[in-house]
Amino acid sequence: MVQEFIQLTINGLLQGGIYSLISIGLTLIFGVTRIVNFAHGEFLMLAMYATYFLFHLIGIDPYLSLLIVTPLLFVLGLISERLVIHPILNAPSFMQIFSTVGLSVALQNAALFLFTADYRSIRTAYSTKTLLASGLLISLPRLIAFIASTLISFSVFLFLKKTYIGKAIRAVAQNRTASTLMGIDIRRIYLFTFGLGTALVGMAGALLMPVYYVFPTVGSLFVLTAFVVVVLGGMGNLTGAFIGGLIIGLVESYSGFYLATQLKEAVYFIIFILVLLLKPSGLFGIVGSEEMGEK
Amino acid sequence: MNLPLFPSLFQWLKHPRGYLALLVLAALILFPMIVHNPFVLHLLIMILFYAALGGAWNIIGGFAGQLSLGHAAFFGVGAYSCVLLNLYTGLNPWAGMAVGILTTSLFAAAISYPSFRLRGPFFTLVTIAFAEVLRILVIYFKDFTKGSAGITIPQKMGLANFAFREKGPYLYIILSFAAGVFLISYLIEKSRFGYHLVALREDEDAAESLGVKTSRTKVKAAVLSAALTSIGGVFYAQYILFIEPYSEFSLDLSIQFALVPMIGGMGTAAGPIIGSFVLTPLQELLRSWLGGKYAGLHLVIYGCILMLVVIFMPQGILGLIKKRFGSREEKSSLRPIAKKNHGIED
Repeated sequence: MVQEFIQLTINGLLQGGIYSLISIGLTLIFGVTRIVNFAHGEFLMLAMYATYFLFHLIGIDPYLSLLIVTPLLFVLGLISERLVIHPILNAPSFMQIFSTVGLSVALQNAALFLFTADYRSIRTAYSTKTLLASGLLISLPRLIAFIASTLISFSVFLFLKKTYIGKAIRAVAQNRTASTLMGIDIRRIYLFTFGLGTALVGMAGALLMPVYYVFPTVGSLFVLTAFVVVVLGGMGNLTGAFIGGLIIGLVESYSGFYLATQLKEAVYFIIFILVLLLKPSGLFGIVGSEEMGEK
Repeated sequence: MNLPLFPSLFQWLKHPRGYLALLVLAALILFPMIVHNPFVLHLLIMILFYAALGGAWNIIGGFAGQLSLGHAAFFGVGAYSCVLLNLYTGLNPWAGMAVGILTTSLFAAAISYPSFRLRGPFFTLVTIAFAEVLRILVIYFKDFTKGSAGITIPQKMGLANFAFREKGPYLYIILSFAAGVFLISYLIEKSRFGYHLVALREDEDAAESLGVKTSRTKVKAAVLSAALTSIGGVFYAQYILFIEPYSEFSLDLSIQFALVPMIGGMGTAAGPIIGSFVLTPLQELLRSWLGGKYAGLHLVIYGCILMLVVIFMPQGILGLIKKRFGSREEKSSLRPIAKKNHGIED
């Protein structure tokens, strides 16, 4: 009984680590540009395909391919920002949502057209490897993904705290008018942040590939979860997104076991609705951050 | 209530807009008597279907500016209420539709009171979540709802059973529904209620301070919009005689309802009709040309259209027409919808 609970907790935390990494990119983009990026899941999907093809065509290990996939997605993020996000920065929020939904539909179906709807996965020596510690099973690639996403989140946090451009990003997130007056080039910050957020989800894609299938709609599966995490942690709050990811991972693990597997999604959507309605600034939201939702 | 139709009963016929609308209506009524090609009739039914549902969405999304991407929930609740009642109690689909409208209205009122406290993307996200939860619940309670397998509606034909072998009757039903939605939208456009909606879309705080009861107005609009959407749900179920949770509650459907008025011109009565006459044939033709040979390609084009519309014609087709040919008064009404300023000049 206790053993079972600990096992569920471990599974939940490991899954939550992946959610955290996906959500950090999303919350960063939202915090700075105030745009809800519905195409975030499709960037994850593209990163997973990139990892898949690097492994199958050239034989590059998924973890090594992080070095290629991350810059690739960074550039993809820059291009998307220029073409799709930049023109709509001043549009009302529903226009922005439409634009990113359009990007999501286009990318998803481009993948369907190019790669077919087949489920593809990578078989590596360590794909199914598990560690056994006092009767508890821990999947090795999931553990690696968890540790990596913790490290990456921590580095992003440090980057935002310590570097000049990181400080500029935080300044823009807090008050863009004041940042402009302080001489920050807002457009470059938008561009860079979008690239950074996309690169982060790219890393998540590469880390996810050894334990997951890739198919054209895999992104939409994760992006709604990522929205739940982002709202739970407080939109634009990185630490919140990290903890929120772990919470959702745990919720999913417990409700899948104690309630019913099919209901786990419903449970976290209900949490999502409750958080939005009762405390729209999120569990760890800064005071006033719910104003981000206002026009 | 100020009914602009009656003070000048036939005055509106003199305006090109008036007789054009009448001509289009007459053409649509005569059309199925001349053309019997099932594909063409199906296309026309789908055009009118999306015109009606786009119009229903437009009441809350266009006039009031509350971007819901969860309207598929109302669509699904309407359809499931009707079909389940028919399945378990043998209730006639028309009566089922009435019950569907009632359940959907109650559901809409219940969820919109709390949801309308949220603004911008938060509101949109919560509407998506409601539709998702409903879909998951319908799939889960499969003993009652038949789950993801869906329900095939027994084929008892005839007007009383809302099921026909021919496309003609469906066309007339959806035509009257679309015309009804248009009439309601037209009345809203000219009424005090409509001005309240536009006022709160443009600036909620200012509207509130001028005495518009914004919450109550929004809930009213949401309930009306949801009720009309549920009728569409019942129609669609009876048209294809089958329902299943994945398509009934899908985000794609909600997006489609919003896209139609957006292409035509949001917050106008004619917008959804124009939008559907442009978008629906384009989609159906692209699908039949490309869908079989190149899976996904037609949706790539669809996604690109979405982005291009937002970037290059945010006022829709009607906006472009007004800008080109409209009177000065109409041009001045075309200022950007609630443009926000982030402190950067472009």
